[in-house]
Amino acid sequence: MIETIRRLGRRGCDITESLGRAGLFLAQSAVGVPSREGCMLWLRQVHFVGVMSLAIVLVSGLFIGMVLALQGYTILVDFGAEQALGQMVALSLLRELAPVVAALLFAGRAGSALTAEIGLMKATEQLTSMEMIGVDPLRRVVAPRLWAGFVSLPLLTIGFSVVGVWGGELVGVEWLGVFEGSYWGNMQASVSFLDDVGNGVIKSLVFALVVTWIAVFQGYDLIPTSEGISRATTRTVVYSSLAVLGLDFVLTALMFGELS
Amino acid sequence: MKDSPFVEVESLHFSRGDKDIFRGVDMVIPRGRITAIMGPSGTGKTTLLKLIGGQLVPDAGRIRLDGQDVHAQSRKALFVMRRRMGMLFQSGALFSDLDVFENVAFPLRVHTDLPEAMIRDVVLLKLQAVGLRGARELMPSELSGGMARRVALARAIALDPELILYDEPFAGQDPISMGVLVQLIKRLNDALGLTAVVVSHDIKEALSIADYVYVISDGHVMAHGTPSNLDADHDPRVSQFMHGEPDGPVPFHYPAMDFHADILGSGGPR
Repeated sequence: MIETIRRLGRRGCDITESLGRAGLFLAQSAVGVPSREGCMLWLRQVHFVGVMSLAIVLVSGLFIGMVLALQGYTILVDFGAEQALGQMVALSLLRELAPVVAALLFAGRAGSALTAEIGLMKATEQLTSMEMIGVDPLRRVVAPRLWAGFVSLPLLTIGFSVVGVWGGELVGVEWLGVFEGSYWGNMQASVSFLDDVGNGVIKSLVFALVVTWIAVFQGYDLIPTSEGISRATTRTVVYSSLAVLGLDFVLTALMFGELS
Repeated sequence: MKDSPFVEVESLHFSRGDKDIFRGVDMVIPRGRITAIMGPSGTGKTTLLKLIGGQLVPDAGRIRLDGQDVHAQSRKALFVMRRRMGMLFQSGALFSDLDVFENVAFPLRVHTDLPEAMIRDVVLLKLQAVGLRGARELMPSELSGGMARRVALARAIALDPELILYDEPFAGQDPISMGVLVQLIKRLNDALGLTAVVVSHDIKEALSIADYVYVISDGHVMAHGTPSNLDADHDPRVSQFMHGEPDGPVPFHYPAMDFHADILGSGGPR
């Protein structure tokens, strides 16, 4: 009994300590004036983290939009409301599916890669030798990756939405025969730029920060063995998925809670 | 200036978990000399280098570099201080996304505003010194362990630091490059007046170039002196180490329970 309580307490202390470390880590690496060279490093990372994730995010967006239109149509047609298909596809994508699914895919595609890369740099003492050369790895290695993720994911999310809406049109209009004018017209009439597009982008900014933060911190903080790296990559995907889904509920409640 | 202390270690205590690694180590590393730190493996020689480099923080005691307390510096000041030191890692620790040339050029690019032509000249000079000028376009993954260490040495001396910390520079080198490395370390010290700390258990090589030797064991400085003094030392522990005898007061085995009792199964589950 006492032992259980003690273990619980120790675990609590461990968690608090690592949260503190993670916070300090974020503050030390993200804050600072970027140099010209820093911008070049950042661009390189935008390529690795953002551009390379484009294919998986866009293809998923296309399929999700197509499935949404197909499922939505079969339900809406019962009520004779199939002309509202465009509205349904666009709102579900912009408010929920695009930020969440893009963030989950991003965690799997880019987050795990970031963790493994930084972890391997740590295991092979590259981070230590950088420190001994007098270069702060937080500024040189971590900061460009953190900012690249923060900028890339919202852009990927917008791409996801655009391709998804187009996929919905492909299925709904071209295949199932919804009138094209009502697909686009209803969408235009009901989607508000600030409330729907804006809130979606805010969500994805929050997810971008959380997912990239978890990924680089797990890489930087891991135990430098092969087992440590494998555990840390797993943790990155698990923690960021849970964080994204949990935060999504909180954000949705804050943004759209009073609507109902 | 020569012979004044460059690095001073004062009653250094350091532990990892429950294991005490240093229990009061005092050491003076004179300026412009080669100091060898030797001792059986597992005595924390690499840890000592990391403490000097400010990567680990001691539990108690002080380390001063040229009069300044290494561990009392702000993060920023510590990074500035580190530009005065070079460290050669046992694994080389080259940046795996840069080729050999760029690895050696890295410290020059981040810390100086030299024009590209000058950087090229400096890099080629340093690579020539370690005999790898022809390997400049290889990636670290294409190098053997010994070559990687020589590239790392070229990188460590790229900025002409005042202090170089060598972590096991001779381990795993073939006889030819071992000889070249020994000469190179000696030459760097003679020509440029660098202060060098060599951590090694290649006794013959280390003694051949060292001006002063510290032997650490069991968390303490067991003996120190010039190579000839130590060679003639009558302390059985020192002479066992210096002459590489398997039997003696320094145990070869990691601490364990009695061998007979362990084998006959009265011990734990394993």
